[in-house]
Amino acid sequence: MSQIYFDHSATTPLDPRVVEAMLPFYGANFGNPSSLHWTGQQSKQAIDEGRQQLADLFHASPDEIVFTASGTESDNMVLIGVATQYKPQDCHIITSSFEHPAVLETCKYLQKLGYEISYLPVTPEGIVDPESLKQALRPNTRLVSVMAANNVVGTLQPIAELAKITKAQGALFHTDAVQAVGKIPLHINTLPVDLLSLSAHKLHGPKGIGALYIRKGVKIAPLVHGGGQERGIRSATENVAGIVGLGKAAAIAGAEMSAEASRLVKLRDRIIAEVQNQIPNAYLIGHPYKRLPGHICLGFAGQEGEAIHLMLALNEEGIAISTGSACSAHNAGQPSYILMAMGMDAVRARGSLRITLGRFNTDFEVDSFLEILPRLAANLNTITSREFAAVS
Amino acid sequence: MTLPTTTYSVNDLPGLNCGVCGLRSCEEMAARLQDNPDLIKRCIYLSDNRYEAREIATENRVNPLNYPVSPVPTINAQPTLSTCAGCATSPSQTTSFIPGMSNPWRDSLGREFDFYLEHFPEEPGPREIILPHNPLITREMDIQVGDILIGRPLGMSCGCPITHCGVAMSVDKRTGVIVWCVTGPLNPRQNGFKDLGYYIAEGYEGMITEARAEIKIGMRYFFQPRMCMLQWRHSGLVNFMNRTPTGYQVRVEGLWIG
Repeated sequence: MSQIYFDHSATTPLDPRVVEAMLPFYGANFGNPSSLHWTGQQSKQAIDEGRQQLADLFHASPDEIVFTASGTESDNMVLIGVATQYKPQDCHIITSSFEHPAVLETCKYLQKLGYEISYLPVTPEGIVDPESLKQALRPNTRLVSVMAANNVVGTLQPIAELAKITKAQGALFHTDAVQAVGKIPLHINTLPVDLLSLSAHKLHGPKGIGALYIRKGVKIAPLVHGGGQERGIRSATENVAGIVGLGKAAAIAGAEMSAEASRLVKLRDRIIAEVQNQIPNAYLIGHPYKRLPGHICLGFAGQEGEAIHLMLALNEEGIAISTGSACSAHNAGQPSYILMAMGMDAVRARGSLRITLGRFNTDFEVDSFLEILPRLAANLNTITSREFAAVS
Repeated sequence: MTLPTTTYSVNDLPGLNCGVCGLRSCEEMAARLQDNPDLIKRCIYLSDNRYEAREIATENRVNPLNYPVSPVPTINAQPTLSTCAGCATSPSQTTSFIPGMSNPWRDSLGREFDFYLEHFPEEPGPREIILPHNPLITREMDIQVGDILIGRPLGMSCGCPITHCGVAMSVDKRTGVIVWCVTGPLNPRQNGFKDLGYYIAEGYEGMITEARAEIKIGMRYFFQPRMCMLQWRHSGLVNFMNRTPTGYQVRVEGLWIG
């Protein structure tokens, strides 16, 4: 049985070119980049190159890049690093109600410390309305954090407009761009974003390495204290191989973005059209165009409760996809807060399938998927004995 | 939105060549727009309003990578805490209700309940006593302790729209009754499963460690199974209870959702 991986929003396979770039740093090039001798300087040079490659992807300056261990760490660094520069009563933070837990859970932590957090609503199409941000801003708003693309629905957020509104108020704007980096242009020279989080493993880079873009002049307090690496903002001996991998992954993504995005959009739209054609009760969740190139989120009217069943059946056929909400024995307790934030009821919010395509997916794999999915969907139980089509 | 008939040149487009519209370049998009103006909707950087699109494109001649101001979509009316029936909590004006941020003693639909039902800490998930709609399949499928099962609770007493996954803890081949612990889909995904189809949830067993009412045997309560995937309250009759150092061990039967 062939295996098909359609879960690139969870993580992506390493690009062989990235592996090749990283390998020397698991072997002969082992030096600590803080060391002044030859092997240390080899590592230092590799870090500089990786930083430049990542900065180039954003049209940013290398000294605006800080390497971290993950997108989650970058998000924590922003939220806590900005908030703790103020007394709780002097610092109001705004975020959206469908952010990744890396932002929402950190906000909840800050709330426990006395900081006020406002959560912007989301439209049924999965987009944050800039008008709601205007209404939420206060004189003591210090930070607005809205993701560039949602991790479950894949919808792209109007971050330029949100950032402009935020900057007019004098607050900082942060975007969790973990899902968007390398997939859509995020050019910092024209995008008024102050802080941007990313993670290498979402763009065919290695796990365990992330980064934070910090616009020149923006100050945040460090989370990790120590030897003063990364300009004192993130102490710890650098993950040299990871940084090399992230840099290479960024360079590849930048060079191939146009061709890759258009290819994935064609595959994506083909799947959406074919699924809706073959499975009458299937419906697309989120805006049809304002979404990541390879990102599909589907529901099946009347069969929402069967999403787990369908995911398992697809898995038995060798196809890896996700249900819309993270599912495991540990966190099966709640429907997707993301879909509920979009106005879905609890049943629908349990019932989505997330299909996310990536660099190595092919037309043939899409053909196989489109042959298998309708067959499996036809065998699912329905919550009603009467057939009906999805309501648009 | 119906777009007015118009023609577009490449100068009207952002010039990013990002591919997110499905075409490799803005030049290709401009060429296609001659025959299909509606395609402009696929440019995520431009609104689907012709005037705004041109205005933004003009801005981008100076600032070619800027994102546009998109039209403001209608805000979805979010459920707020103040909309919950009978809820006394009054959230601040700009703070929306976040699903998942629990309001103690109310379920996801805002309904009150009296206790949380927790699963036994040594078990992989909530313990349920279930009966397949055709009890014979317990024998026909040769269900054994440790088997990974999936199925959907249907009808009386505890119909639920969600397929459940779990692991068999005890099996009564004579009556078809199975005791299982409900887990997530990870186990069946990794190790395969037997599909029960539809089943009836006859009873739950677990621990009460948090309650807002006195728990008495023989009384019917509204309760919230902690791991309910919809966070809907259930009701049931407590017909076994045993005080332990960590709370009451109970069995609840006569189950209803709601």
